[in-house]
This record gives sequence, structure tokens and C-alpha cells, in this order.
Amino acid sequence: MEGKPGFRRVRRFASGGSDLRREVDDEIASHLEHTARELMASGMDPREAEEEARRRFGPVEHSREACLAIDRRRYRARRRWEALHDLVQDLGFAVRTFRRSPVFVAGAILTLALGIGANTAVFSVVHGVLLKPLPFPEPERLVALWESNPDRDWTAADVAPANVLDWREQNRVFTDVTALLTLRSQLALTGSGEPQAVDAIFVCGNFFSVLGVPPLLGRWLRPEETWDDTERVVVLSHGFWRRSFGGDPKILGRDLRINARTYRVVGVMPPGFSYPLADLDVWIPMGWSKENRTQPYFRRAHYLFSVARLKPGVSLEQARADLRSIADRLEEQYPETNTHMGAGLTPLHEWVVGETRRPLLILLGAVGLVLLIACANVANLQLARATVRAREMALRSALGAGRGRLLRQLLTESLLLALLGGAAGVLLGAQGTRALLALAPGDIPRAAEIGLHPAVLLFSLAATVLTGLLFGLAPALRSVGAEAGEALRESRGASGQRGNRMRGSLMVAEVALAVVLAVGAALLAQSFLRLRQVDPGFRTENVLTAGLSLPGASYPETRAVGVLAGRLLERVETLPQVRSAAVTTALPLSGLSWTSDFTVEGWPAGREGTEFHRRAVSPGYFRTLGVPLLQGRVFTAADGAEAPPVVVINESLARRYFDGEDPVGRRVRFSPDDPDGEWATIVGVVGDEKLEGLAAENRVEILQPFAQAPEHQLKLAVRTDGDPATLLPALRAALKDLDRDLPFLDVAPLDDLVAEATARERFLALLMATFAGIALALAAVGVFALISYAVTQRTREIGIRMALGAAERQVLRLVIGRAMALVLVGVGLGAAGALAFSRVLQSLLFGVSAADPATFVLVAAALALLAFSSTYVPARRAAQVDPAVALRKE
Amino acid sequence: MGKRQMDLLQGTLDMLVLKALIWGPRHGYEVMRWVRQVSEGGLQIEEGALYPSLHRIQARGWVEAEWGVSETGRQAKFYTLTAEGRKQFEEETASWKRYVDTVARVLEAEA
Repeated sequence: MEGKPGFRRVRRFASGGSDLRREVDDEIASHLEHTARELMASGMDPREAEEEARRRFGPVEHSREACLAIDRRRYRARRRWEALHDLVQDLGFAVRTFRRSPVFVAGAILTLALGIGANTAVFSVVHGVLLKPLPFPEPERLVALWESNPDRDWTAADVAPANVLDWREQNRVFTDVTALLTLRSQLALTGSGEPQAVDAIFVCGNFFSVLGVPPLLGRWLRPEETWDDTERVVVLSHGFWRRSFGGDPKILGRDLRINARTYRVVGVMPPGFSYPLADLDVWIPMGWSKENRTQPYFRRAHYLFSVARLKPGVSLEQARADLRSIADRLEEQYPETNTHMGAGLTPLHEWVVGETRRPLLILLGAVGLVLLIACANVANLQLARATVRAREMALRSALGAGRGRLLRQLLTESLLLALLGGAAGVLLGAQGTRALLALAPGDIPRAAEIGLHPAVLLFSLAATVLTGLLFGLAPALRSVGAEAGEALRESRGASGQRGNRMRGSLMVAEVALAVVLAVGAALLAQSFLRLRQVDPGFRTENVLTAGLSLPGASYPETRAVGVLAGRLLERVETLPQVRSAAVTTALPLSGLSWTSDFTVEGWPAGREGTEFHRRAVSPGYFRTLGVPLLQGRVFTAADGAEAPPVVVINESLARRYFDGEDPVGRRVRFSPDDPDGEWATIVGVVGDEKLEGLAAENRVEILQPFAQAPEHQLKLAVRTDGDPATLLPALRAALKDLDRDLPFLDVAPLDDLVAEATARERFLALLMATFAGIALALAAVGVFALISYAVTQRTREIGIRMALGAAERQVLRLVIGRAMALVLVGVGLGAAGALAFSRVLQSLLFGVSAADPATFVLVAAALALLAFSSTYVPARRAAQVDPAVALRKE
Repeated sequence: MGKRQMDLLQGTLDMLVLKALIWGPRHGYEVMRWVRQVSEGGLQIEEGALYPSLHRIQARGWVEAEWGVSETGRQAKFYTLTAEGRKQFEEETASWKRYVDTVARVLEAEA
């Protein structure tokens, strides 16, 4: 073929989509045309030539589709490469830009790190507690079963053993039903050196099979091991096995001496399994006697927590209905114990999460607001910079960069900034999570499952990207939107009304959000302080408490318990630092005392007092805890096991049941239905103690002498001169003389127990205060930066005013006045927002209304003052400007 | 036609197309005409298969394409060999020759 004639470009290369198809069509058409021309040149008539050309070409469709497939692949690859190229270019540009303004970048990263870090920390807790499924196979099939009784104000109450056993046998909706004790028991492990306290949970034999987590070693407990006619066995937790037995692989089959009984180890659970409480050591079968099943108290005493696994496909509603029908049958069958006793269920996850859901969600909302403030701050910084960079943008635009391209450039910068802030935030968040857990109240469920899981990191990433878009988009749109020519012309001076308005609204938003957080924090702080001021009814300082769990094997008679307690107290009271000492079946604030019913001699038949709390205390109890005697006398050594039964009642009971009458000398009986029951004489009235938490109502209570109603689980309380903690060795020595196998359990100053009772409120208040603090700091910095910027923008105007004779004071008023107008709008909006937000808080507040006017006024005033001081410094600088200098500035 | 016509394998067609472009830009119809002329009708290029081949070697970066006007004054897409395409052609030619020589030696071997 000979040389080509010069060819010229007639159109741009196809850029994709339908263009590709058109181009292939054109190319094939061109080919057909060339073929036909040549055929015509050799004498064929045009129509024939065209047909022949088509015939020679073969199936056009086939060829076209093959070409198109190849072209489309090539086109996509090129687009990807171009996008990558643009990104690399944008990133390089962003890095160069950042290098030029390190202060801005550092400020923005720090701000974002605080916001994202706080969110990461709180979300890690929310995820671990609220979102992650329970760590059991098919956890959605697990439900908590409970009983309810309107006569006793019971909702979701503990379950009586005989009822659970009937549910297990009669239901048609569960694969199995199990039960466990609701409280941990501290037991004594003996046989190797000092007696050691172990944390045990008593469970039914089918406990593990219902939960379904396989053991690490050995086997689960078996259903028949619930009863005492089988060998005593025990399953160990992973932590206990490692700690106390060095992870001995031959642990199975070993005998452990626990509370003077021998248990054979049959299994070890895997790490991470510690249900229902954290840091459990062992699971021990109930060991009930089968004779119990027919005893009325087996149906009367409610002390179990029940878990069941739904059969596959059974709905919660079906299960509820089945459970209700069984409860109805039991009610008919056992009117003595089961009248009005209902039964219900709650998904186990919901049950476990329980009351922590609301506070956690509130905290999450609060950190969300902090992040919004951080966003507003960075957006503000971006806006200020955007004005400075307007010329740069205009120049690039004039040089041919499209709006989309510039927008992408600015967003790349914002996202890069957000990612840097997010990375710092995750590091901060990891620390934050640790700090949070250290601060958190001990009863936070599933604490061990909290951590920076992939889902948490994903959340942080999402928050980061969203943040980047949020603070980047508005300023970017604004910069790009400005007409190029306009921006090039307007070198300095007025920066456009639009920018000012946007900056103004950002400042209003920041202030408003800060007000919301500050009000929330102030309300929670007040609530905490009020709670701390509640009189618990006893004096907490310088009292040491310790638990004792006397093994039934060594002390088969409760009378022996009374004897041991008496001897222990004798010895303890002779110790030099000890003022007084006492034992009790339960300490106040623990919520651990039993409740039952009583009747009073002389009451008409059928009249009963219900749900009174019942404890037994030694004579020294009232002196040791500083509980005031209001009437009559307290117990004395003469009120021994053989002496006539006596009781002391508390003030609430006296008021409720002996309105106006003198209760002293009257007699009460604990089992109203039992005509042979013993009458006990009321000898005194004492002040109320808070039994179930500081925020709870006072309860009616009857106290018995410990010697007349001893129990195997008891608490020792000792009032000392000075620090009670130093007393422990002497106490241990005294106990060892009496029983060398008995350890003290849960040793703690009474002060700590009271602090624990306010731990949740303290945690919430502290966290909210921290978030509000960050919010206030960010808002103050934001206001400061904004006013500083505005002042710089208006230097010339201020200069003119001063040159024309304006006094410094007038300039101050001008600058501050405009800023404060915005601040006040923010405060107003914030107060309205806080009113809405605090309604959510109401149920968490104690002794303070969610709409407490004093709090609102105080916070608003504080915010306004803070904002004022933030505007004052830049305003002052503006007022001291030398007019000559200001005017020379372009 | 005295000679039998031979069908072409895909890779071989790509090689012939590269060869057709070695003297300068050509459009598809020219490529086809050149191959037919040089092989004296011994190689039948299926016209429909030619274009996927051209687009394929374009996607590999061996040729570049641009619209222009052909010598008969009509619009046509011209393909130009790139440096990479030239290198590819030389390598393929060498390995093709080795292949043919080897097969020929084997076929002609005696005992």
C-alpha cells in the first residue's frame, strides 16, 4: 500500500456510554462503505454492491458486540486510572496546603480527635453492652422468666423453685428451663493453706445445656445433679482454674473442699464465659433435697432467676401465653402460695441490658452533640480559610479546573483532615474506653465484652467520613460557588454576605449545642449531689464491714451460728481500736434483706401487713451503725436464744401500722396464716435505714435479735477509732481462733458501700460534665476564632470609625454587641433544645426537675459570660488599633 | 483459486494486523485489503473478526486510533502502531518463526 494522505482530527475520541456504541457503528459502516465503493468501481450496481459488502462482512451484530465489550472494559479501566490519578494529585495538593497552615491543621485535628475519640469510647461501651449479641449460641432464643404479683407490687420478680420446676415440666414452648440463684455466694475453699474465698453461683443441673456454651475441659453439669442424691460436683471458670490451679490439665476428677463439703471437679468453662456475673469462680449445683418439692416454702420463697431456651420457631407471644396458662393452673392448684401469681418473660438480652440502656443512649447522644460542635468549629475554620483562599480557587478555576474538580479537591482536603483527626480520635478513644471502664459502676453488665471491636472501628470510620463531609461540604460549595471574576476582583474587604451568614449560624449552633450539654451535665450533677445528701439513716464513717458464710456442714444448727457470732463479737469488742461491733443478716443499702408478711395481736382476722423487710441484728448493731432509738429499748444480751422472742420495728412501720398508737409492748407474728406461730413482743422503735438504695423509698422493717434468728450468711460491722482498714489483721486473728477454715468475705469500709450506691449517678454526672466541658471549650474557642476573624476583616472599617472620632468604648460596643446578639440567639435555642433533651433525662434524675429554672438560668448566664469573655479579647484588640495603620492596610 | 484457504487463529490475526500497520497508520478496510493482497488470497480474513482484533490490540496499548479522512474522501478510523506495539510485533514474529522452524524440523525428520 502506498503512502497515506495526511489525516486530520475530525472529532474527539469517544468518551463513553452511548458514544462507544455509536463509534463502533460508524467504524463498521465506514468499512461497508469502502467495500461497496470498490465493488462499484469494478462495475457492480450500487444496491448489489451494498448487499455483497454486507455478505462479506458477516454478522455485523456479532462483530459490534465483541468490539463494544472490549471498548467498555478499556473505558472503565481508563476511568479508574484517571480517578486514582486525580486522587493522588488532590492528596498531594492537600498535603502541600496543610504544610502552609500548620496551626489550622493542628487545631482541626485536635478538635476532631476529641470529638471522634469521645464517640469511639462511648460507642465501644454501647456496642459491648447493647448491640453485641450475648455470647451464647442462638442467643435470640434465650429468655428470662419471671413472676409478678399485683398484691405485692411485684413486677419481674424472683421465682420460687417449685414454680420453675413445674414450668419446666409442663411447658410446650421451651427446649428447656433452668434456674439459678440471683446472688453470688462467697464460699470458703479450704485444704491448701489459708482458707480462700471463692465466688460461686448455685445453679440447676441443666444450666449449661440451656446456655449451650461447650466446656473447655470435661463436661457440663447434668440435669439430675440439681438434687442432693447425686455426687457433689463443681464446674470451674477459666480464670479461677488458671489462678488457683495454674491451669492444671489434670484438674478433672480432683476433689475440692468448699464450705466443709467435698466437690469433684467435672468441667472447666472456656475463657470469657462468666454468666450471670463477672469474675465468677465456680458453678455449683443447687443440691436440693427432693423432699423439698412438696413443701409449701419451696413455692413461697422467691429467690431464683430463671432462663429458658425457646424451641425453634416459637414466638415470644406463644411462649408468654403458654407460661401464663401454666401460672393460671398453678394458681388454682396452690391458692395458699400462688394467688395472683403471674408469670412472664423478657428476651434475655433485654433483661441483661436492663436499666443501662437509657443512660448509655443518653451518653451516646451527648457525645454526638460534642462531635457536632467539633464539626461546626472545623467548618468555621474552613470558612475563614476559604475566604483567604478565594483567590487561589478563582485562579485555578480560570486555568480550566471545573467546579466538580475544585469541589472534589476541597472535599479531599476535608476528608484527609477528618481521617487524620479520626486516627488520632481512635487512639484517644482506646484510652477513653479504658478510662470509662475504670470509672464505670461495678454493676455495668457485660463489662468484659467491651473493647475496640471491628464494629466499633467501623463506627469510628463512618463517623469520621460523615464528619469530613459535614464540615467540608458547606465551605467547599461556597468557595466553588463564588464567581471566579468576582473573587479575583474583590481582593480584600467585604468577604460576602453569604459567608458571614454561614459563620454566624455556625456560631449560633455551637453555642446552642453547648447549652444543651451544659444543662444536661448540670442537672445530672445536681441529681448526684442531692443523692449524696440523702440521709441513709446510719452513720457511715469509720465502720468496717466483712461477710461470713458459715458452712452448713460444720454448723448444721443455726443455734451454733448464733454461738459463734456471739463469741466473735466478744473478742472483737476487746480489740483496742474498736468502739463497738455487731453482726447482721444484711447490711443496709444492699437490697438483700428478705421480705414477708406479719400480723399484729389484736388485729381483726385477715388483716395483714405485707412485704415488710426482715433482718436479724446483734444488740450492738444500732450503736455501731449509729441508728437512733426513737422509743422503747434496743436488744440486750438478755434477748438470747432461750429468752422470750422480741423485735424492734422501724419508724415507717410504726407510722404505717400503729398510727398514733404506742407500738411498744404490742406483739407481732411472722406467719399470719399459722395459728401456732410464735408471738414476738415489740420492745422498741428505731429510725429508718435506706435498705435498697439512696433514691428508694423508706421500707417498713422488723428487726429480730440475731441470737433468736441466726442465719449462716452474716455480716460483721465494726466501728473503730480512725481508719478501719488497719483493723483487718486483728479481726482475722480473732476469727482464726474460733474457726481456722473461715475466711472474711467482701471486706469493705461502709463508706465504700455508700459510694457504690451512688456510683451510677456519679458516673453519669462525671461523664456528662466531661463532655459538657469539652463542648464549652470548643464553643469558646469557636467564638473566639470567629470574632478574631471578623475583627481582622473589619480592621479598615474600624480604623475609619476611629479616625472619624469613635471612642474605644464605642468600638468595643460595636464588636461585642454584634457577637453577643448571635450568642444570645444560640443560648435561647440551646435552652429550648435542653428542655426537650432533659425530658429524656427525667427518669434518671433525683431530687431535681428536668426543667429546673435555676439550672437553666445559671447555665445560660454562664454560657453568655463565657462567650462574652471570648469576644472581649479580640474586640479589645480591635479597639486599640491605630487608625493610621488600619487605613494603610488595603 | 489454486491454493486452499486457511483459517486464522485469533492470536495469529492480531499478529497480521500489527504487521499491516508497520508502515504507517491504516484504517480497517485497508488492513483487510492489504492482508488479502499480500497473501494472494491464501488467507481469508473474516471481515467481521477484524474489528474485534483491532479493538483488542488497541486495548492492550499496541495501537492508537484516531478518526480521519481516507484517500477516497470518506471518514474512517485510522490505527497507528505504538512503540510498544512495534516491540510486541517483533517479539511475536521471532517466536512465530521459532515455532514454525521447530514444527517443520519435526515433520521433516527421518526416523
